Amino acid sequence: MGITIEDVSIRFRRGVEVVTHVDLEVPSGEFVTIVGPSGCGKSTLLNAVAGLLDRSDCIVDGRISVDGRAPGTKSSRIGYVFQRDTLLPWRTIADNVQLGLQIQRAPQPDRTRARELLALVGLEGFEHYYPHQVSGGMRQRAQLIRTLAYEPDVILMDEPFGALDAQNRMLLQAELLRIWERRRVTVLFVTHDLAEAIVLGQRVVVMSRRPGRVKTIREVVLAGPRDPFELRASPEFTRLEAAVWAELRDEFRAGAA
Amino acid sequence: MSRARLLLQRLAFVGALLLLWEAATGGFGLPPLLEPIIVARPSRAFAEIGAYAATGLLWKDLAATLQAASIGLALGIVGGVAFGLLLGYARPIADTIEPVLIAFNSLPRIALAPVLVIAFGLGITSKIFLAFFTVFFVIFFNTYLGIRSVDPELVKAVRVMGGTRRDLARYVILPSVSSWIFAALRTSVSFALSGAVVGEFVGSTAGLGYRMVISAGLLDTDRTYAILLLLMAIAVTLVELAKRVEDRLLRWRPTAAFMS
Repeated sequence: MGITIEDVSIRFRRGVEVVTHVDLEVPSGEFVTIVGPSGCGKSTLLNAVAGLLDRSDCIVDGRISVDGRAPGTKSSRIGYVFQRDTLLPWRTIADNVQLGLQIQRAPQPDRTRARELLALVGLEGFEHYYPHQVSGGMRQRAQLIRTLAYEPDVILMDEPFGALDAQNRMLLQAELLRIWERRRVTVLFVTHDLAEAIVLGQRVVVMSRRPGRVKTIREVVLAGPRDPFELRASPEFTRLEAAVWAELRDEFRAGAA
Repeated sequence: MSRARLLLQRLAFVGALLLLWEAATGGFGLPPLLEPIIVARPSRAFAEIGAYAATGLLWKDLAATLQAASIGLALGIVGGVAFGLLLGYARPIADTIEPVLIAFNSLPRIALAPVLVIAFGLGITSKIFLAFFTVFFVIFFNTYLGIRSVDPELVKAVRVMGGTRRDLARYVILPSVSSWIFAALRTSVSFALSGAVVGEFVGSTAGLGYRMVISAGLLDTDRTYAILLLLMAIAVTLVELAKRVEDRLLRWRPTAAFMS
């Protein structure tokens, strides 16, 4: 279940062009990260793929399809992990994880899967807590497995670890990779953190400042399952980081000028 | 401070207040600072509650007031929620009639009492209506604002999971709005009681408010104060009850959000 973005430009009706002529093909099962300066339209692009853009607010040219269908169609199975946690505050952690299953009218036996997922990210024992009673890291874990629970074919992530401290961010990156290695869902992951983009992505898409366009796409070629901690110490990582930074630096500079 | 100690201190404070009051109104053989005909002595006011009960009138009046308040409260909640939901969903209508609603909300509701007595007579109906109006606007505005302040991110989250309009209502909008409604419960309870009592002041044939006005007119200060104490006890009990219900229903909220 891949994602196709063909010559997509997005413009707000008030006049600002957010992204321009973006082409991106994410084949089924690939993990692609998008990195770029803030305001480059990467989140807007993600929202467009999710079908969450308010059409009275902006104009989208070009073609976007998820698994061959237009975004926002009822049958597309998309998961979205937000930067801010969007757990329902009146539901316990366990009930939040089951939300997607309930919406998709999953039969009862499937719900044991939610329990397994809680254990997978170390949330057992916190099932009956309300979101405000657990830490930000736990809420983000819960949000992640809420998305995994209904087994979407495509997962879109908008700086999901942006609000976490450095340790939690690395731990969650490792957990996300571990889960992805097992399930091989298609992931489109937006971040402004260069290291995160390289550690997670099979390909890293570098976007220019606004109006955002695809500047370069880099393959991250690494053998075997990745470990984000080891990876950071590898020469390959350092080389890539320097290369991507060189491209991004200009965008940041120009943006600041 | 431990709970037991706090409770003791509170009781001691109330006790001291009552003793002071008793002393100031000529209790303990002291010369009265305040005329007992103007400010009742607490011991006599409490004793008067017994005398009032013995006549059988207390139960009749209590029943009348509580009946008016509770029916008005129930109708006010149901009506306020229904109307709030309706307008919350029908934005163009809401925007049109909003100034009128605000005007009604700004009106001191108890000022409607004479009008309602003219329209519905001295019986319980006019009191029910007054309690209803006082409650209705509080609940209505909370429901309406509740719908308008639903977190759009939560709406997005449910939509992206494939949620329909019904899912949105069920999983996001109703729980979110009900938190606003529950939060208005406490105010509504005391408003309903005020509505019923004021309605009785203005014109009725029974009820605590009615009896109070009669007693005050006869300069029966003891009975007037006895009823005042009764009203205070009823209000404290009902509001505490409402607070418990609210805390229970909103236990998912961070406690810092409460003003106890």
